[in-house]
Amino acid sequence: MLRIPCPWCGLRDEIEFRYRGDATAIRPAGDGGVDAFFSYVYERDNRRDWHLEWWLHTGGCRRLLEIERHTLTHEIRSVRDSAEALSARPAAAR
Amino acid sequence: MSGPEYPGSPAELPGVRVDECTMGVVEIIARPGRAGELVEIARGRGIELPTFGRIAYSSDRLALCVRPDRWLLLLAPPAPAASGPDRVDWWESAAQAGAAVDQSSAWATLLLAGPRSREVLARGCRLDLDPLLFPVGLAAATIMAQVPVILAAVPSGLLLLTSASTARHFREWLAAAAKPFGLMPQSIISVADLCRSESG
Amino acid sequence: MRGPARIVGGWGVDATRSVQFSFDGRRMQGFSGDTLASALLANGVRLVGRSFKYHRPRGIVTAGPDEPCALVDVIGAHGREPNQLATTLALFQGLATESQNRRPSLRVDVLAINNLMARFLPAGFYYKTFMAPGWAWERVYEPLIRRAAGLGRLDAIVPAHATPAESVHDHADVLVVGAGAAGLAAAQVLGATGLRVLLADQDTVLGGGTLLDARWTRWRESVCAQLARTAAVRRLPGTTVSGAYGHGVYAAIQTLDPAESAAFGGMRERLRVIRARRVLFANGAHERLIAFPGNDRPGVMLAGAALAYLRRYGVAVGRRPAFFLNNDEAYESVYALTAAGICCAGVIDSRPRSLAADRARDMGIEVHAGAVVEKVYGRHEVRGLGWAARAGGQRHKLEADCLLMSGGYSPATALASQLGAALRWEESIAGFVPELSPDLGQAAGAARGHCGLAAAAHDGRAAARVIAAQLDCAVRVAGADADAEAELPPDPEATPISALWEVRCRGKAFVDLQNDVTAEDVRLASREGYEHVEHMKRYTTHGMGTDQGRSGGLVGSAVLAEARGMPLATVGLSRPRPYSQPVPLAALAGGETGQHFKPKRRLPLHDWHESAGATFVPVGLWLRPLVYARQGGWEPVLAEAGNVRRAVGITDVSTLGKIDVQGPDAARFLDFIYANTFSTLPVGRARYGIMLREDGMLLDDGTTSRLGPQHFLVTTTTANSAAVLEHMEFHLQATCPQFDVVLTDVSEHWAQFAVAGPRAREVVAAVVSAADLCADAFPFMAVAEARIGGIAGRVFRISFSGELAYELAVPARAARAAWVALLEAGKPCGIRPYGLDALNTLRIEKGHVTGAELNGNTSAGDLGFQRLLKRNGDFIGRTLAGRPGLAAPDRLQLVGLRPVDPAGRLRNGTQLIDASERGASLGYVTSSTPAVALDGWVGLALLARGRQRIGTRLLATSPIHDEHTEVEILSPHMLDPENQRVRS
Ligand SMILES: [Zn+2]
Repeated sequence: MLRIPCPWCGLRDEIEFRYRGDATAIRPAGDGGVDAFFSYVYERDNRRDWHLEWWLHTGGCRRLLEIERHTLTHEIRSVRDSAEALSARPAAAR
Repeated sequence: MSGPEYPGSPAELPGVRVDECTMGVVEIIARPGRAGELVEIARGRGIELPTFGRIAYSSDRLALCVRPDRWLLLLAPPAPAASGPDRVDWWESAAQAGAAVDQSSAWATLLLAGPRSREVLARGCRLDLDPLLFPVGLAAATIMAQVPVILAAVPSGLLLLTSASTARHFREWLAAAAKPFGLMPQSIISVADLCRSESG
Repeated sequence: MRGPARIVGGWGVDATRSVQFSFDGRRMQGFSGDTLASALLANGVRLVGRSFKYHRPRGIVTAGPDEPCALVDVIGAHGREPNQLATTLALFQGLATESQNRRPSLRVDVLAINNLMARFLPAGFYYKTFMAPGWAWERVYEPLIRRAAGLGRLDAIVPAHATPAESVHDHADVLVVGAGAAGLAAAQVLGATGLRVLLADQDTVLGGGTLLDARWTRWRESVCAQLARTAAVRRLPGTTVSGAYGHGVYAAIQTLDPAESAAFGGMRERLRVIRARRVLFANGAHERLIAFPGNDRPGVMLAGAALAYLRRYGVAVGRRPAFFLNNDEAYESVYALTAAGICCAGVIDSRPRSLAADRARDMGIEVHAGAVVEKVYGRHEVRGLGWAARAGGQRHKLEADCLLMSGGYSPATALASQLGAALRWEESIAGFVPELSPDLGQAAGAARGHCGLAAAAHDGRAAARVIAAQLDCAVRVAGADADAEAELPPDPEATPISALWEVRCRGKAFVDLQNDVTAEDVRLASREGYEHVEHMKRYTTHGMGTDQGRSGGLVGSAVLAEARGMPLATVGLSRPRPYSQPVPLAALAGGETGQHFKPKRRLPLHDWHESAGATFVPVGLWLRPLVYARQGGWEPVLAEAGNVRRAVGITDVSTLGKIDVQGPDAARFLDFIYANTFSTLPVGRARYGIMLREDGMLLDDGTTSRLGPQHFLVTTTTANSAAVLEHMEFHLQATCPQFDVVLTDVSEHWAQFAVAGPRAREVVAAVVSAADLCADAFPFMAVAEARIGGIAGRVFRISFSGELAYELAVPARAARAAWVALLEAGKPCGIRPYGLDALNTLRIEKGHVTGAELNGNTSAGDLGFQRLLKRNGDFIGRTLAGRPGLAAPDRLQLVGLRPVDPAGRLRNGTQLIDASERGASLGYVTSSTPAVALDGWVGLALLARGRQRIGTRLLATSPIHDEHTEVEILSPHMLDPENQRVRS
């Protein structure tokens, strides 16, 4: 079981969260075309490594969190609110 | 939790009370980037909107914040005819900064009191309820008995808000969990009762 | 005299309080404080069961939870509970137990023939033998195996929820597992820092190894008294930590003492879910068996168990014990039994010399050094043994009535391994020790290979200091600490262990007593290619019993290592998983059983519906009125639905999801979330909308109303209300955070009713004030705030039934008043409530879709919504919905259908095939109902090239029901395709 340190609510059990997918997948612009959207929706590396993920804290603050988790050990290295995560990204990636 | 070890027999168990509160609830939501403005307007009207994870209360109302830039304001119950923003008389001046939504019917409110109430809640609450870590003044949203619950440590005990549709389920679960601790019959109390100190 | 017996009063039993119990029908007496095992031994009972595979006679091997053999059935008021450990089962008045795995009786067991057939029952026997023919499995093999194998019987297991259970959530800074010398010393140090400590021990008395050494009594009592005064330290005796899950989460099973059990309504076990910042494993070591022929004979026990039975229960496990050992620590049992006046038959020590052997000789005990046991005499009990020098040579016979073995001690590494700790081979103890990441915690004492109580206590303190420093808590009483250390009784000087795993001779030498795995089985596994320790484990079942192979696990690995010619350090141990001890399922379920199993969501009007005679149906978590009748069948449903078509009905649709959307960008946000356009919707109007997933498939549908220029109210389907809210919240935070919008879930606040039927306007007009409801002023899809029976609410002119209809929303607390007002007002019009079945009948006739059609595999085009997709602007799912495959003509498309024969019926799920071709399925029926406005049955279906097939005939076939109905394919808009009724 994961325990996720929500930047708002503190350390909480996994049961309070809903996994919302790969946070490195950036939605293409609306006119990005089928290939870009296909890649956005379906193509995943499934790496054994650190991984950025979206988790929605449905059982707590209901904020969307960007979590850096190791897919092998489940260790969680960093957690931040989506607003902070998105503002830290280069404009092109938003 | 630093509750006492379990004593030997039911006779030694001090009671736990579960009371039902009737109240009006207004959900106040700040628009993106306008939370500070909203808090100031409210303060000007004598309403303290607390920071995240805390409660603020006066004699007849209690505000709590378990979602960033959102508050639940608990007041005396509304008249059946009332609805919407007219529940908050200062609202007109704040409307640009956010929204106020009547949620009076959305929540059922219970007050759990008694020296062992935190032990009772540990049967379903995954949060650390040590009085040092969750003292009076704190609030949190979590899941208990498989349903969302908002929990606040108020002067009179532990306030529990649960969705109206799951209120009976949650009440039955709480009663079952509290039974070995000597559950006492419930009564109906008001917002003002929440803010008085626990009598024991 | 022979055999085991009570010789003195041990510290753990109260000889003034006798307790009656029975075993296999024999009535016996023990003392309060006894376990079943100690009481059986005190009564001279040695044979307690038959083994799993060979049905060999078995006795008690250990004095605790590591027990592989002494498993019994407990016969209680609620039935038979199998696999209870005699060695931990506390004796109580009237306890009735039976031995397991024997037929017809323990002494005469017909399946003991398996023992003679052993060469035909090798490891992997089941894999090899019960292969083919396939038909034989169900009829022959399985019944045969089930009868012959298995432990205990589950015939009359405790009736549902007979015993209450609960789970409790605990939090601590440090979880100390084990309260022996190391654990107590660590808790003492941690307690002085103010850190919150949970000290859990599986024993009902704290103390571990110190309980068996009188020199340690004073220290133990003083530490326990100090801990009892330390508020931050919570002691949990009788609590077994059985799983470590990472992220600081541990599961423990607490056995309630009788008084607490009574206070909790007879509850026996409680699941504790412990969350701790650090763990300190001070859970000791497991004494190992030695694999030699006959090492499973009743009377062959672990040496440490004999010490426990003597000191704790006052029971001598034999009157003439012999010992077979390879370490100095086990000599403690030799000395203790001798001091108790028991005449020792002799000690076989595999080492050439040792300090402990010298001390034994000084006491007059005969020690045969450099020797091993090759044979055990006796069938149902030990009568003697044959030993010989390790180098070989003549075998000597020694008369004895029990044989106490000790192959050394393996640190308890299972929990640390569950946390991913590596195991390091430690030659000095001939065992593996855990290497736990300091971020997780520490291991201390015997759990880290430190022999001796004083060494363990020192190690426990050191580990506690490391943890305290990590958690930024200074140890305040360093001085007092030093004094306490001075008081520790010193450990005796010892000669190191010399590894001895197996004595290879003729006869079965077991490495796993519970699963009947011999050393030879391990070699066979290796020869047959199951060389890896994990493969060997699964092939032989070594270590897969309830005891998890604690006493023989390392021995099996050692035999495997020798067979493979590899170092034991490389072969390693098989990796344990939770649970490291058997855990009752009832304890895992906790309180979430019966009515608490799953939450039930109740409507604001639940009680009204109930009193009106509704039959409820679970829909997701909701309980919804299915029909206002207690009897089944279609008649009451059709009466309700017919009343809507003819006059007027009212139904509770409060389960719909409702999301309040406000802000300057509310319209733009909804345009992005929905496939259709909401920015063009006028204030005071509602619009039907569909939303897609990003892959282009339909996610949900519903009506959205514009309450103000920047204020919308979205409704979702009941089933998707949570998913749609999450979907919107996710996108608002992840993909379109620039929108100035706030979302609020108002589903619970609003009760909502549909009033539908040709006379709906009359009813609604009678209760709704301040709104002109005439068709022109309040047309189809109009929305207004209004007072409903005096209650502030909203009126929507929307229809799911296909009739003239209004939906009325009021705050849930006022639901009853509004509902009753509507029923009163509707009386002259013949208003009746209708349930979910009637609602379904009406919407199927009209061709409206629900979850059966919005099933995650359908696109907008499939359901005929292509025209709703907006041309301009981005929205979720837009691009991928345009993929050619999602609009391909051979996709399954929504159609209506009815049987050609008016008396025919339809059934959901039946496949549609072309009768002339009898080919593959072309689609299937998603919804069906007897019609009320139309004739016979009608249904909806998803059908390949469905729209092209309208007007043709197909066969609806359900081979398992042997139903084959010719159907006519229709447009899904079967009733009033011009929508005249809803607009009237
Ligand atoms: Zn949170």
